[in-house]
Amino acid sequence: MRDPVNPSVDSPEYPPELARLPPGRHGLPREFVSRNQRERLIAGLAEAVAENGYAGTTIAHITRHAAVSRRTFYEHFGSKDECFVAAYDSVMTELNRRVGDAFEQEQEWPQAIRAGLAAMLQFLAEEPHLARLSMVEALVAGPVVIERYDAAIQSLVPFFEAGRKGRSPEVLAGLSPTTEEALVGGIVSLISRRIFADRTAELQSLLPDLVEFALTPYLGSAEAAKVARAG
Amino acid sequence: MAQNSTRRPLPGRHPLSREFITAHQRVRIINGLAAEASEKGYRAVTIADVVKRAGIARNTFYENFGSKEECFRAAQKYAMSSALEQVVAAAGEIGNWPERVEAGMAAFLAYVAREPALARTCMVEALAAGPESVQYYEESLQAFVSLFRLGRDVSPHGGELPETLEEALIGGVFWILYQRLLLAETDRIEELLPELVEFTLTPYLGAETARRRALDGADRAAVASADG
Repeated sequence: MRDPVNPSVDSPEYPPELARLPPGRHGLPREFVSRNQRERLIAGLAEAVAENGYAGTTIAHITRHAAVSRRTFYEHFGSKDECFVAAYDSVMTELNRRVGDAFEQEQEWPQAIRAGLAAMLQFLAEEPHLARLSMVEALVAGPVVIERYDAAIQSLVPFFEAGRKGRSPEVLAGLSPTTEEALVGGIVSLISRRIFADRTAELQSLLPDLVEFALTPYLGSAEAAKVARAG
Repeated sequence: MAQNSTRRPLPGRHPLSREFITAHQRVRIINGLAAEASEKGYRAVTIADVVKRAGIARNTFYENFGSKEECFRAAQKYAMSSALEQVVAAAGEIGNWPERVEAGMAAFLAYVAREPALARTCMVEALAAGPESVQYYEESLQAFVSLFRLGRDVSPHGGELPETLEEALIGGVFWILYQRLLLAETDRIEELLPELVEFTLTPYLGAETARRRALDGADRAAVASADG
């Protein structure tokens, strides 16, 4: 069967540049190569930014880290800023996926919050370059990224709002409309200030504090501390 | 030049001292930078933008600051020290801790509402403006941390509270204010007082006590404004 999008190697539509790929890499569809290049550029940007800061990063730095040509860079992105936005989006997509998965695997909301926070800290600690890119460099990358940064942080609000469900009227009366926003802001501030100070390795030790902080308005201090110190 | 002027200063109006003019110019430049930074982000701001916004000569900028970065650090220090001064003036003498937090928070919100561009400079842009600015941000944050930390002495479970609690509370308050500044809801900043007080008191005093305190505070404020 002929596939018009991904023609087979021996078909006449097979792009000649792919025919020049080294042995063992034949048969890669164009879309795959292209996506692969794009991913390499994104990873290259993260490395270059970790080395030089966003302001000090040039397209030459990015293409060197990605081991692709300048021309390939411009086939994928119009500018350094555009590449940064793509990198930022891909980091946030991955982070959201991991947090969401961890959260959904728990039956009880307090444990789900704990699992979600643990997943976030683990990702950031394991990927210090991406942590820096998404929490530090994003702030200097201009208005487009700042807008995405704000939206990404606000997108964590519903995880906390879920904690209102089933609380007593007294507890609910004590929660103001901005409680969740303030919790998210406080958590992100603690995390990003560690990343700023190059203390990314310490992030995971913040887990009990963050869990207790997040749960206290819903469960009270004593119960929140119990969940924080369990596990 | 002033020395060659034949005009005497008006009676009762002292000639403006050189220091006064310089201080005034510096504040104008600082405000110019803050206004530009809140519109287009600190990184995109040029000295030409600041000069134009402040309505001064380019030379005057360089007489006061060596670079955009130096000007930024001055803006940050100016804003942070003004805000802290007002917090201390409002709250420093109050012995009762929850009342002290409330008075300090009210003074801080009033400052942010009055100086939104400078407040944004301190709370957000500082983190994007290089290591020295981050360092200064951290130091000024510690001033707020110590105000909140006193709450551990009056809390029934003060000894068990997480070490990072104060940092997280201040981060939360800053974030809420930053969101309001972004949405240009400057006029609504002071309305946030009861909920921010409640948010910060809850971990120390429990939700119920915190809420009662915050509501009492709002009532007192309403009575005071009705009386005034």
